[in-house]
Amino acid sequence: MRTLGIIINSAYVRGLIGQAIFTFAGIGLVGGIRSAMGLETNVEPGVVLGAILGVIGFLLFAGVLTDWLKWIAGKKTPLRHGVPEGKPGWSRYLNVDVNHKVIGIQYGYTSILVLLVGGIFALVFRLELAQPGIQLLDAKTYNTLFSAHGIVMIASILLGVGAMTNYLVPLMIGASDMAFPRLNAFSYWVGIPAVVLILSGMVVGGWDTGWVGYPPLSLRAPLGVVLFLMGFYLNGLSSIASSINLLVTVSFMRAKGMTPFRMPIFVWAAVATSLIQFTATQTVGVALTLNVMERVAGLTFFNPTNGGDPVLYQHLFWFYSHPVVYVFVLPGLGIISELLPVFSRKPLFGYKWIALSSLGIAFVGFLVWAHHMFTSGMNDALRIPFMMATMFVAIPTGVKFFSWVATMWEGKLSFETPMLFVLGAISVFLIGGVTGPILGTIPTDLHLHDSYWVVGHFHATMFGGFIFPFFAAIYYWFPKITGRMYKESLGKLHFWLMVPGFWIMSLGQMQIGLLGMRRRIVDYEAVLGVQGTQVLITIAALVIGWSVLIMVYNLVSSARSKEMAVTNPWGSRSPEWQIPYPVPEFNYDVPFEVVGDPYDYGLDGSEYVHTQAAPVPSGD
Amino acid sequence: MDEQKKAAFRQGNIVVLLLAVLTIAEFAIAIVNGSTVFLFIIALIKAAVIVQVFMHVSRLWREESH
Amino acid sequence: MSAYTKAQPGSHHEAHDEDRAHELPYATQVRANRLGLWLFFISEFFLFGALLITRFYLWNVPGVGQTRPELSQELGLITTSILLLSSFFVYRGETAMTFGDRKTFTQSYLLAALLGLLFFVGVVVMEWNLFGLTLNMFGIEWFGHLKPSDGVHGGVFYMMTGMHALHVISGVGLLLIAWNRGRKGMYSVERHWGVEGIALYWHYVDVVWIFFYPALYLIGKAV
Repeated sequence: MRTLGIIINSAYVRGLIGQAIFTFAGIGLVGGIRSAMGLETNVEPGVVLGAILGVIGFLLFAGVLTDWLKWIAGKKTPLRHGVPEGKPGWSRYLNVDVNHKVIGIQYGYTSILVLLVGGIFALVFRLELAQPGIQLLDAKTYNTLFSAHGIVMIASILLGVGAMTNYLVPLMIGASDMAFPRLNAFSYWVGIPAVVLILSGMVVGGWDTGWVGYPPLSLRAPLGVVLFLMGFYLNGLSSIASSINLLVTVSFMRAKGMTPFRMPIFVWAAVATSLIQFTATQTVGVALTLNVMERVAGLTFFNPTNGGDPVLYQHLFWFYSHPVVYVFVLPGLGIISELLPVFSRKPLFGYKWIALSSLGIAFVGFLVWAHHMFTSGMNDALRIPFMMATMFVAIPTGVKFFSWVATMWEGKLSFETPMLFVLGAISVFLIGGVTGPILGTIPTDLHLHDSYWVVGHFHATMFGGFIFPFFAAIYYWFPKITGRMYKESLGKLHFWLMVPGFWIMSLGQMQIGLLGMRRRIVDYEAVLGVQGTQVLITIAALVIGWSVLIMVYNLVSSARSKEMAVTNPWGSRSPEWQIPYPVPEFNYDVPFEVVGDPYDYGLDGSEYVHTQAAPVPSGD
Repeated sequence: MDEQKKAAFRQGNIVVLLLAVLTIAEFAIAIVNGSTVFLFIIALIKAAVIVQVFMHVSRLWREESH
Repeated sequence: MSAYTKAQPGSHHEAHDEDRAHELPYATQVRANRLGLWLFFISEFFLFGALLITRFYLWNVPGVGQTRPELSQELGLITTSILLLSSFFVYRGETAMTFGDRKTFTQSYLLAALLGLLFFVGVVVMEWNLFGLTLNMFGIEWFGHLKPSDGVHGGVFYMMTGMHALHVISGVGLLLIAWNRGRKGMYSVERHWGVEGIALYWHYVDVVWIFFYPALYLIGKAV
């Protein structure tokens, strides 16, 4: 009964109620004004205002804004830490909490939940594609589902990136928390109404633009596109806030002796990610805002019949949306570099080069956006430079691959589940990588643009760069987070189901792409000869779906077991593994000092973190 | 203390005068030849002065707080 | 934007409370806040930069070059001057607080907020002509006639001024908050990050307008 009370009174439930109330108030307000002014019936302005107010309502009711409102009213606002009085510890995770570990875990389970939702969308339309002709879905539902699959997965990945950076970075650098704990909570909580907006967009008419929302199609799409654009915008807001927070944290809160080149390699990846997030995200924000304004307020930017230019949208959109794929993969590649030395018992090969290659990828990533637009009718003079720049991405990425191979070379490899996922990630990311230049080269891209080849390439990069490393990270840090060990057998089962499933799916997508299967199409001709592969892809997708469910079961059941794990099961040198479970509220009760290099595994007498002796109590 | 305070206020006065002169110069250039390059350079100078004096950008590299 | 709401400039003897033992020392927190706020400015630079790119992309007519809508030049010059002046008063206020002169600080911030509000009125009521008025006085056209539906000129103009006005009105709110807290004596010579952060934000809004003003009013051929 008490449990139910805490759940009903949680920030999620309160926030959703607030969002509903404020949304309908906004719609009602605009509707009332418009009918009073005698304007024609148009629900869109009301929906836009309702959506904005709804987000404010969510944050207000959830309690995210409380401290800032007190500040506005001129009151003192001390930061509150720890479990609220008289409540069980788990209730922290359902409410607004400023501790980075709590927020990291909130990001984590939200990410997995959203991942499952996006995965279900994919499975539904995969079933439709298993046969030529229309069986399950009409074209409109199909369009909405694949569009929603794209953006929901992106939301999930951004949440997953937030989970890893928020939980790990302060622990790894020896900080007590993030630099701006309240802003950190805001970054997480603003993502929830964003997902609600995207999902409610599917209910009110859906949309058929894919996750890119290109005008002029988006200007004609059903009402759902407005909610999709606004939900996307909010995800961006969350990214910007959390990335600024992370950059400041890494700048000012590192432990004594932790010079930039002695930081754990994942921190470098997180920094490179944040550098992209806090700059590029604003341009997609502009693109989405202009799109919404053109639809709702009648301003002209993109509609060619009024003198606008749709190519401008694509430039603004891809200036973010290309670099953002590096936001997705850089933390994952950081996880690979972080875990490989632990399971190879050897130093990370070329630490400095790996660290700088993350920055290199982030930098080159800004110069390649128009390779998505070779067929858009943009200025021809732009094509060759963007093709060249695209090829340069291979250089810093290649640095990483060679380092990984060299790290494993002659190492004492052991194959626990996290290591399996790391190896899976490397192989899958490799196939995702080498199928890229074919799309970055103009002549072949003209042929393969908007085909299933693109789908195969993209899924390989996302699985290799994010999904596999994310799962590796979950298994690897699970004993740190819960104090329990996951079940190794189920972990291995998950891996051995997911890897072949993934290979069949991705290679199958590439194959039918070469045969002429177009993406974003509900139906195809039987004469295309792709039906057999389509069936295989669908089965593979189902296998992947089941394997993820096995992981969820494994995590939940292991977390509830009585048996405790040892403090440092992997023999890691990283500071977070040197302290026992549970990690204190402010991470390190006794500060540590960095005295050596982070990845000197297997070198005699090498030390990374040196914990100072506990201070002797003064007095008696 | 008092000398410093007066100097700081004086600096503000100089900057706002400079901004006023540059704004009028912008207006004049726009009427005379409308050179985009000139206008952009003047805008850059104005922004640089504000960032340097009004926004104390150098405090980012300073150890003490105020 | 919320970055600088972090450090609460309470009275200093609280700094070593048991609760705050794990928080950063005030001097470090201020440095962190400063960096966070500047990163936010860099982030916003991309927002306003993208809007400027939109303007130069869409207002470029093949064969003619850059164009701009016909606007009341005098009105633009007046609003620009008002905004620059309010930035000046914020500088005065912040400097006064640094030297412990609370009276000058509160007065300057209040004045700056009022000037900011005047700028907002100048853009939204007069340039946008929200209420459809006309007034010709001293040979100056006091109310604009460009409509949001006037093709790319109207669209870009309303979008850029609107996005800037949104920042102006939130800045006015922040200035008033700082003024109110200053009135209650919540800032001291040692602890007044709120005053500094809000000043930085207001100057930044001014810097943005320094680039928007020539882009909207001066550059290109009036059509």
